Amino acid sequence: MLLQKTLTKSNKTDLYLDLAELTSGLLLVGFLWTHMLFVATILISQDMFNSLSEFLDKYYLSYVGIPFIVVVALFHFVIAGRRIPTRMQEQRIVWQHAKMLHHTDTWTWVFQTITGMAILVLAGIHVWMVTTGWPIRAVNSAHRMESFWWFYLVLLIVGEYHAGFGIYRQFVKWGWFPRKPIGYVTKAITAIILVLGLAAMFVFVQLGGAL
Amino acid sequence: MADRELTFEVFRFNPQKPEIQPYLQTYKLNETTGMTIFIALNRIREEQDPSLMFDFVCRAAICGSCAMIINGRPRLACKTLTNTLPNKIKLFPLPVFKLIGDLSVDTGTWFRHMSLKTESWVHTSKTFDPKAQEERMDNETANKIYEAERCIECGCCIAGCATANIRDEFLGAAGINRVARFMLDPRDERTPAEYFEVVGSEEGAFGCMGLMACDDNCPMELPLQMQLAFVRRKIAAIGLGYKPKKGIKLA
Repeated sequence: MLLQKTLTKSNKTDLYLDLAELTSGLLLVGFLWTHMLFVATILISQDMFNSLSEFLDKYYLSYVGIPFIVVVALFHFVIAGRRIPTRMQEQRIVWQHAKMLHHTDTWTWVFQTITGMAILVLAGIHVWMVTTGWPIRAVNSAHRMESFWWFYLVLLIVGEYHAGFGIYRQFVKWGWFPRKPIGYVTKAITAIILVLGLAAMFVFVQLGGAL
Repeated sequence: MADRELTFEVFRFNPQKPEIQPYLQTYKLNETTGMTIFIALNRIREEQDPSLMFDFVCRAAICGSCAMIINGRPRLACKTLTNTLPNKIKLFPLPVFKLIGDLSVDTGTWFRHMSLKTESWVHTSKTFDPKAQEERMDNETANKIYEAERCIECGCCIAGCATANIRDEFLGAAGINRVARFMLDPRDERTPAEYFEVVGSEEGAFGCMGLMACDDNCPMELPLQMQLAFVRRKIAAIGLGYKPKKGIKLA
């Protein structure tokens, strides 16, 4: 035992960190899926999309929700990011290990850390673009989509990937359900959300072109 | 199938002779019916290269000595039939454990450290009476304990674990499964707080990132995901209702 380690030993820190990773992750997955369902209202009609957005504005849900999610996302990055191997040698070990093992869940984790870091940057840009082009209306979104569809395509894929495998991994770690079925369920939900997102993007780009 | 020529690429390195850099050596061997990696390695050592180092004892998946990396996956040499593999077979020793030489590693030191850290013995205040009849245990509990006890300590779960590969202190599936075994045992009188002390950290239950290479590579097919999750849930529940004593501060 070493003095500095003995004195800084905290029995519960690791437990709280693990629970914080779980809670913030679940919140973000819940948010992302809801967000995509809201976006997909454009598939019904522009009026539907606009009135939902107006509703969220009217009750200050956007003004509370957006800063809250930004804080939770940053928090999640720091907490879940503690698991990222940051030293060069650790990086080399992990890559070598993943290449050697030919194991799906190990590879999906490697890409989860990469998509996590990508989301930090891309979602930051996304929030900036949306808040500076306030309010959220079908016309504004259509213009944005028409110009930056390639950016949103990347964000959609990395976001859904990270959320889908993230929630799967939490279920695996806590063992509330058997592993195989939960894998199918999370993959199915991710596929549905991706399809909705792509369809919404297509509609927005069309709309942007028609304006 | 039986007349295939197999090419083995084997990792060679002797830590006693560090001046010779690690290299891959190629051996060729004709496949025979029912050949396992264990049989193949013995033939190579007998017929081609007596200097090749590897471990085995029981050749029946009981002792756990012959675990190695076979075409990328941690497996038991004695339980792996060559006819399930392609013509080219690459063999490496297990990572994480101390390398003795070539395919031979020292899993014993690691497992002893794990046993001491998890205090792998029944903690009881009762004095043993050799003349008394053994205490009875219901069949369900006995079966649950046995399920965890089936671990042969081969080290495949540790070698396959990304966390164990980068964090020396991580107990891994073998360690956490061991804790699960004692938590199930009604003879063990340890309090919840004492269990929390043992595995309530990132070295134990909260270090697992859920990659499940342990679960997918266990040669004994132990339900490791469920064991890890069981300990995680149990330890989290204990931790939430547990008040540790206040420590002293340096400044």
